[in-house]
Amino acid sequence: MESGLAVVDKVGGRSTLTRCFAKYPLKLISPTKVGSCKSDVVWVYMVSFGGGMVSGDHVSCAMSVGDDCTAVLTTQASTKVYRAVDSKSSDQSLQVRVGCNALVAVLPHPVTCFATAKYKQKQVFSVSRSSSLVVVDWVTSGRYECGEKWAFNSYNSTNHIISNEDQQPLLLDSLVLEQGSSMKGTYGMQDYQVIAMIILLGHKFEHVQNEIQEKVKKKMSEEFGMRLTSKRQHDRDMKPDLTYGRSRPELIASCSTFGPKDAGLVIRVAATTTGLVYKFLKEHLASLEPLLGASPYY
Amino acid sequence: MECDRSMDNKTMQSASEDHNLQWNQWQLLDSILPTGGFAHSYGLEAAVQTRLVSDPDTLETHITHILENTGSLLLPYVYKATISPNMETWFELDRTLNATLTNEKSRRASIAQGSALLRVGASVFTEIPFLKNMRELALKSDKIKVHHAPVFGVICGVLGFGHGFSQRAYMFLTLRDMISASTRLNLVGPMGGAALHHRVAKSAEGLVKRWMDRPVEEACQTGPLLDVVQGCHGYLFTRLFCS
Repeated sequence: MESGLAVVDKVGGRSTLTRCFAKYPLKLISPTKVGSCKSDVVWVYMVSFGGGMVSGDHVSCAMSVGDDCTAVLTTQASTKVYRAVDSKSSDQSLQVRVGCNALVAVLPHPVTCFATAKYKQKQVFSVSRSSSLVVVDWVTSGRYECGEKWAFNSYNSTNHIISNEDQQPLLLDSLVLEQGSSMKGTYGMQDYQVIAMIILLGHKFEHVQNEIQEKVKKKMSEEFGMRLTSKRQHDRDMKPDLTYGRSRPELIASCSTFGPKDAGLVIRVAATTTGLVYKFLKEHLASLEPLLGASPYY
Repeated sequence: MECDRSMDNKTMQSASEDHNLQWNQWQLLDSILPTGGFAHSYGLEAAVQTRLVSDPDTLETHITHILENTGSLLLPYVYKATISPNMETWFELDRTLNATLTNEKSRRASIAQGSALLRVGASVFTEIPFLKNMRELALKSDKIKVHHAPVFGVICGVLGFGHGFSQRAYMFLTLRDMISASTRLNLVGPMGGAALHHRVAKSAEGLVKRWMDRPVEEACQTGPLLDVVQGCHGYLFTRLFCS
């Protein structure tokens, strides 16, 4: 039995939430005045009672977005996952069906797992060739300002994108961070406190994809180019270490295309603070505002 | 007695087959086999330039993390391909892995190495016509990408190596290629590289035990930072490796 269901269809030529249901511990809120009245978008907020997921919570939500509609699914604040009690995991699943020429944006705030928490989430998107989809999936190391860095027991996030037409997988991504691996302590994250993945797929995002690829390439190339200048200085000074005296970048990002004809783009980001990732998302997804009616991250 | 002689013959035949198997195993793992593995650094080059790897300790840690990620993400494909080395399973694994390798650099590296390995396998192990059939089908169809892990698993399967061998061997190849990349990037000398290889082998065995024999549905990434960094390979100002 689903904890939540939202259906968006065209009614009178406008994207309209025709069904909306949720039961404890999930709540779905759809404010009508998120964007300008000219924008044809439905915004749905997934809210949890108590501001987070408690050990043993199971939430499953389904969303169907009809042909030519636009919908945004987001959260009010970061999803906190509280510590596991009796090793019980909290899990969340989301299934979204995106119609022809429809646009769906899943733009939550990050997941923050407290020490000893166990969390699993699975998101499955079924899309048509003409659908457009943007998904942001990100996690922080925890309450890192209190010293809880990557102290959760397990975090498991899976994202699948499947074609409606032939049921073929376009993207199958699964990230599992679990105590007991060789990456003791910090899951190999070193000083980075946030990891994010942004997926952009579909013709409506072609322009955004090209823009992001160019900007990320420019920024990261500058970062690496500066290393070459440092190397010359290092060689002159005969320093023994390989870093040439430079510290690690605060934010690292890279882009990869995926899918048939490279129609999709995955951007992966690692950063030392959540603020840096918010800034990255705000800057690179700003051009989505006309499509979504409002800026996704501010 | 007749019965004893027949048993002795059987034991000798079985031992002889095992010995032949060993020659094939050694050849498959020998770095001299022209499979192009040495064109790829598994993100090591980018890791040095992002300062994630800066000294012998961080190099050893990084190599171990890559091996863990190889275990969690790719061993299920090697396993399945070894136990079911047939065309249908191979297509399915190749298609699934193509959707799973979301990192463009590692996806291309996997296809390059897989294609080279299949070409070599079909040309060298001529007693197994199935490999030649695989190659011919791959050349005709653009839907088959020829990813490395499934091809490696199939070759091990058709040559009669067990799935324990194939998964360990896959980890061994990854470790071998990373040590080679480390020496060519001047992170460690040849002798230091050999000592490092031996030290890491113990952890590698632990990782094989942890991640072996799992279904493909459980394949996952365990090193997200590695993925971000490996994706930066294309932005490097100067580079020695393809990925």
